[in-house]
Amino acid sequence: MIAVLGLVVGVVAGLLVRPEVPAVVEPYLPIAVVAALDAVFGGLRAMLDGIFDDKVFVVSFLSNVVVAALIVFLGDKLGVGAQLSTGVVVVLGIRIFSNAAAIRRHVFRA
Amino acid sequence: MSDQDATRPDETPRDETPTTRLRKELPQEVPAAASRAERDEESGEPALTGRQRLVQGLWPPRVSRAQLIVALLLFGLGFGLAVQVASNSDSGNALRGARQEDLVRILDELDDRSQRLEDEKQGLEKQRQELENSSDQAEEARRQTVEKERQLGILAGTVAAEGPGITMTIEDTKGTVEANMLLDAIQELRAAGAEAIQVNGVRVVAGTYLTESGKSVSVDGNKINAPYRFKVIGKPQDLEPALNIPGGVVQTLEKEQATVSVERSAKIVVDALRAAEQPDYARSSSQ
Repeated sequence: MIAVLGLVVGVVAGLLVRPEVPAVVEPYLPIAVVAALDAVFGGLRAMLDGIFDDKVFVVSFLSNVVVAALIVFLGDKLGVGAQLSTGVVVVLGIRIFSNAAAIRRHVFRA
Repeated sequence: MSDQDATRPDETPRDETPTTRLRKELPQEVPAAASRAERDEESGEPALTGRQRLVQGLWPPRVSRAQLIVALLLFGLGFGLAVQVASNSDSGNALRGARQEDLVRILDELDDRSQRLEDEKQGLEKQRQELENSSDQAEEARRQTVEKERQLGILAGTVAAEGPGITMTIEDTKGTVEANMLLDAIQELRAAGAEAIQVNGVRVVAGTYLTESGKSVSVDGNKINAPYRFKVIGKPQDLEPALNIPGGVVQTLEKEQATVSVERSAKIVVDALRAAEQPDYARSSSQ
């Protein structure tokens, strides 16, 4: 419950504060958000499976974000940033979908 | 939530051994679902389903370290999400997140597009100019045609005319004036530059003929009676002397006992009209 509250408070704070995104971070923020979403779906699925572990969640969340940003950064340096970020988004999207399918089976039993 | 691992008494080894940490990352959903189904069927005591775990996690709210950490991370996620959505939906900053090569490509496309539009604009302007010129020319041609029609109408007697000129009145009390005398008068006036002539309400044009009809005269078949009143448009300084020269029209008529008076006038109106007639045989050969 507190976790859900945290998410809601974060969205509200982001909408209210509307901070200027620093130019350095700007290309990596969307990828980082998608990576974090993947981690959250994974965590939700683990919770439904009854194997949730907060330490695992924290590590996977942070490492997902960092690795995703790192890949995009590397891609930018190599000149294939657009393609590589597309690839990252595709992979993360597939994972999100499979996790969502597992969650759906738990919640709706279908 | 992690304490729920302990509440499960009998699990397959894969689910309770440390490999559980990996399971969160690996999408092995099918075996997991299968094992859960087995568990639900085989275990005698009521095992928690995913839905029950979800409800337990949500309510009642428990303040634990795990919840707080997850809340913190989710706060970060929500914040980033909202910021990204907000900055992305700013229409003015649509290009802010774009990469350098994308920007270069967009710039090239815009350059090409503006070049194409510029070409198109030039073509259209040229076309407009041509159309304006041609419509100007058409307008000019129309104006000239109208002008010419007016001039020819004066000659053909189809339009009224006005201008300086003279009025000549021939009083013929004895009935001695004949058609050829009037014709002489008309010829003399034409020779002196008369541009429009009417006699007693009959327009005199190129094809006008005069005939004797009893005691009076017919002009183009219209019988006219004395006094014969000529209205003539032309240069009065030329017309009047032309009539008055010695041995000219006036003297000839006065010899026949007729009275002739000639008056100059700054404004003569010749308003007798003739219908425009299409010639039956003669055709323009200029075209």
